[in-house]
Amino acid sequence: MKPAQDLVADVAEVLLSEEQLGAKVAELGQQITADYAGRELTLVSVLKGSLPFMADLMRHISLPLRIDLMEVSSYGGTSTESSGLVRILKDLSAPIDGRDVLLVEDIIDTGLTLNYLIRYLKGKNPRSIRVCALLDKPARRLVEIPLDYVGFQIPDAFVVGYGLDFGEVYRNLRFVGVLRPEVYES
Amino acid sequence: MTDEATTHGPQSDSGFAHASEAEFARILDFYEVAWQYEPKVFPILWDLDGNVLESFAPDFFLPDLDVFVELTTLQQRLVRKKNRKVRRLRELYPGLRIKLFYARDFRALMLKYGRAALVSELSGASGQVTPHQEAEGSMEPGKVRAGLGRSGSQKDGADLTVPPASEEPRPGREHRSRSARRRAGRRAASAAARAATS
Repeated sequence: MKPAQDLVADVAEVLLSEEQLGAKVAELGQQITADYAGRELTLVSVLKGSLPFMADLMRHISLPLRIDLMEVSSYGGTSTESSGLVRILKDLSAPIDGRDVLLVEDIIDTGLTLNYLIRYLKGKNPRSIRVCALLDKPARRLVEIPLDYVGFQIPDAFVVGYGLDFGEVYRNLRFVGVLRPEVYES
Repeated sequence: MTDEATTHGPQSDSGFAHASEAEFARILDFYEVAWQYEPKVFPILWDLDGNVLESFAPDFFLPDLDVFVELTTLQQRLVRKKNRKVRRLRELYPGLRIKLFYARDFRALMLKYGRAALVSELSGASGQVTPHQEAEGSMEPGKVRAGLGRSGSQKDGADLTVPPASEEPRPGREHRSRSARRRAGRRAASAAARAATS
């Protein structure tokens, strides 16, 4: 396991500082609070990358709300998964029928996972589904899904930190940074 | 319809002009996105007599998303010709949505899915299907393999036969080599244009 200082050294550039992230999450929370005033909101976090974002965002939403967690397999996750279909690794723990659902995502890239999740969640008959993404990377978008709340639109770079990983590492960085190419090229 | 076409899970690499296309199809299958491989040939250049001189067949069409996808794993400096074709396609068919995936995009996709080690073998010339490989198991000529999709209007593995020639872009008809498909596309488009003007 790498020491923390090595994790930082692997980052070529800090794209979003802890302060920038904090300010934006607070702003998103206020906006969501206003938009959902008087309604019952369920935040659904998609593991594992959106966990820090979800934890911070929920504390900036001044509404009675429920939270739930989902996890889906990723293509290439294991040799078995790569030869099959996407699977729900962890499903919702409570029904969402008739509820307003806000899907909280760390980053939207191709949109393939989000597309699958929205189709899946719609099958559970929520009152509404909206999407809140911290990062929007539109360069490789295949599925055009409206993102209702977006923190930052970022350039086409491999980013880590604030939940985002490379090989399950770097999630605990307090900022979002661009990983040095030599890290993943090696 | 072939058994292969209805299999949920990894598709055989045969039938694709390039290994990166097979990998891309597997990704689409994984996320249950319906796809068709080279279903249409679009004429993009005509001579003064209306004969088609050049056509373009994007690699994939995703019917549920109404978008074409063209993959190229050539190095960036070599993609000028493809960029020109895509630009021309957009000019001539403004309602058509096409996404061009460059080598860097494919590489990033592989990195995202933890398959960076596959990039070199799926890229450039090394990823091309050789005539020998094709002979062992190419798609049935005249058919288009449709991918999987839970809610797609396209039936899983449906065989799409080639309609009569017309001025409209037509489904692709062969799954041999890329150049053979291009030549066939150009020939078909020329024939269509001649028929329309005669």
